[in-house]
Amino acid sequence: MNLLQIKKPSTTFAMPFRHRVVAGKHLLTNTEGAFVLLDDAEFRLFAEGTVERGSTLWTRLVERNFVRAEVDLRAIEERIRTRKRFLDYGPNLHIAVVTLRCNETCVYCHASRANMDATYTDMTKETAEKTVDLILKSTNPSVTIEFQGGEPLANFPIVQHITEYALKQNEKIGKTLEFTMVSNLSLMTDEKLAWLVANKVQICTSIDGPQHLHDKQRKLPTKAAALPLALTGEGASPSAHLAARHWIGRINDEYGKMGLDTSLYHVEALLTTTRDTLPLWKDVVDTYVSLGCKALFLRPVDPFGFADRSGGRVEYPRKEYLEFYRSAVDYMLELNRQGVQILERFAAIFLTKILGGEDPNFLDIRNPCGAAIGQVAYNYDGKIFTCDEGRMLHEMGDDTFLIGEVGKTAYRDLMGHETVRALALASNLDAQPDCVNCTYQPYCGVCPVHNHKSQGSIFGRMRESTLCAVHKGIQDYLFEKIASGDPHVLETFKRWTTVRDRTHFLQTCAL
Amino acid sequence: MSSSLEGFPEGQVQFDLERGAASVRVDSSVYPLEALYGAAYVFIDRAYVLLDRAEGDAYRVWISPKKPAAEDALRALLGEFANELLSCAWRAQIAKDSRSIIEQATTRALGGARGAPSLDDLESFDFSDESFEDPLGIAMSWEEKYGKKKGAEGSEAKAAPAGAEAAAAEGEPTP
Repeated sequence: MNLLQIKKPSTTFAMPFRHRVVAGKHLLTNTEGAFVLLDDAEFRLFAEGTVERGSTLWTRLVERNFVRAEVDLRAIEERIRTRKRFLDYGPNLHIAVVTLRCNETCVYCHASRANMDATYTDMTKETAEKTVDLILKSTNPSVTIEFQGGEPLANFPIVQHITEYALKQNEKIGKTLEFTMVSNLSLMTDEKLAWLVANKVQICTSIDGPQHLHDKQRKLPTKAAALPLALTGEGASPSAHLAARHWIGRINDEYGKMGLDTSLYHVEALLTTTRDTLPLWKDVVDTYVSLGCKALFLRPVDPFGFADRSGGRVEYPRKEYLEFYRSAVDYMLELNRQGVQILERFAAIFLTKILGGEDPNFLDIRNPCGAAIGQVAYNYDGKIFTCDEGRMLHEMGDDTFLIGEVGKTAYRDLMGHETVRALALASNLDAQPDCVNCTYQPYCGVCPVHNHKSQGSIFGRMRESTLCAVHKGIQDYLFEKIASGDPHVLETFKRWTTVRDRTHFLQTCAL
Repeated sequence: MSSSLEGFPEGQVQFDLERGAASVRVDSSVYPLEALYGAAYVFIDRAYVLLDRAEGDAYRVWISPKKPAAEDALRALLGEFANELLSCAWRAQIAKDSRSIIEQATTRALGGARGAPSLDDLESFDFSDESFEDPLGIAMSWEEKYGKKKGAEGSEAKAAPAGAEAAAAEGEPTP
């Protein structure tokens, strides 16, 4: 439809809205994040302000606050407050990098790992305690401590000490604590697993897809491997994939033995999409399903760490990524139709905002972003960064996002740091060209660290941003599916927005 | 020195491949100065950037890559600068238009994250009398600033009508 066909647009009928054509329909969104999809005839009536009072179209528009004469200001206020609830609390996610040492070598390693003999990159007990003391000063009543590296299992005593010390200190504070560990699992042992399960530490790993792709991208040197012989065969090269697969099975079995619902309690895995992943979308999904995973996060590669240097080998145009994404999620929807429960994480995040009217507080896709005010990263040496991506840049020689040091910087000084203020402003979509008028503004978010690295300023230019291309492309896909009206797809999407809390992992001390 | 570069209007740019520098004329009635500063700053990791006053109501921006660059690279750099300048100008306008929304969200986010000062934070505060210079006596109490001299307390002072304190503080004569 040519918009010039609208002869007399009304300036008084509609509330402020944003417009985009998706799947041949007119997608309109408003400030509170409600949306409607209109066909050409409906859109003309809307734009000219001639919608018949009491008609079905009138009711649809009024219900979602698109008609100025019928607007419910109290409802708008309430919906915006609900969406922005996260603004009232400080950082929930605290990433503790307990070592940079890692026994695997990944082509895209964002963390800039160190060799296994680089023990100087291990966090000390003293730094660990100062880190916990600072974390517990967060204004957020719920705190998640995420162990990262390097490979956290390479400095397991500090993982144990942080957990035990945090639980002890929290007895006087009374926050709700959660612990998670991101590990390649190849240094796991029965003893370590027993301790992690007993102390309710959630475990997350990386799976790059089928074995041949995973092992090609994540090298596990023979000398460093401590794998059951049965996994690799005598004399064979160790397989990072088989090691991870073995331990995923073992961990899930442990949850089952404890009587936990394994559809909710299981190892989560993360994918990093490289150029070699793109044609293997079906194999990737099948691999995750075969591992018992219920979620798959189709993350594109980021320009941090080794990925920046090996970009020529692992990078790809985002148009190709979006084709990969569409194929993979189409296939996942088909599997859901057959009764297999598997969801895509990007889709779940956006759909929770689109269909649920809530913000799931995913820190990389929120407005403003979660840099420091939602998450903080603590390096092995006590240096503090606005986020894990900022810490990754530090390892590449860029200290732009360094905001303090444990034991020296007070919590309130961290949150009031000039860099934190700058990032809160730079990631505000109401201040960003393109975003300010984008139909997807109520659901989206930008990453100033990504902008800084890829475009030279924390503001970035969304027209040329690979991250914007991904977010926009995924939301186009989701709205195309919503516009199709397929009841099975809509029911699956609705299910993907349902959050079931893993209460077993929440550790609260009664004061 | 050449004044033509593919993709740019004739006369808008100056281009000196030998010296590895290029400049572009920026109309000051189209682009605000703060946008020019913002865009120029983005390039200082890759190039030496100089802002100058050109003829008429215009600025001239000189850009010289830190590493030797061929014509294509210089052209790309100028093009990037032009795009960044447009982005900064538009952002400056949006920031003005959306100022109250941006301030509200930022204040709420930073306030929520910082929280109220704790007792530990208060420990580092300076509560001593000589914490800052106060030549105008703004921090003094009314009694310190306008109170009776020693020995002057009497029935007259006690009988001062209501409102006298405020009038005295404003420097008006009391009835």
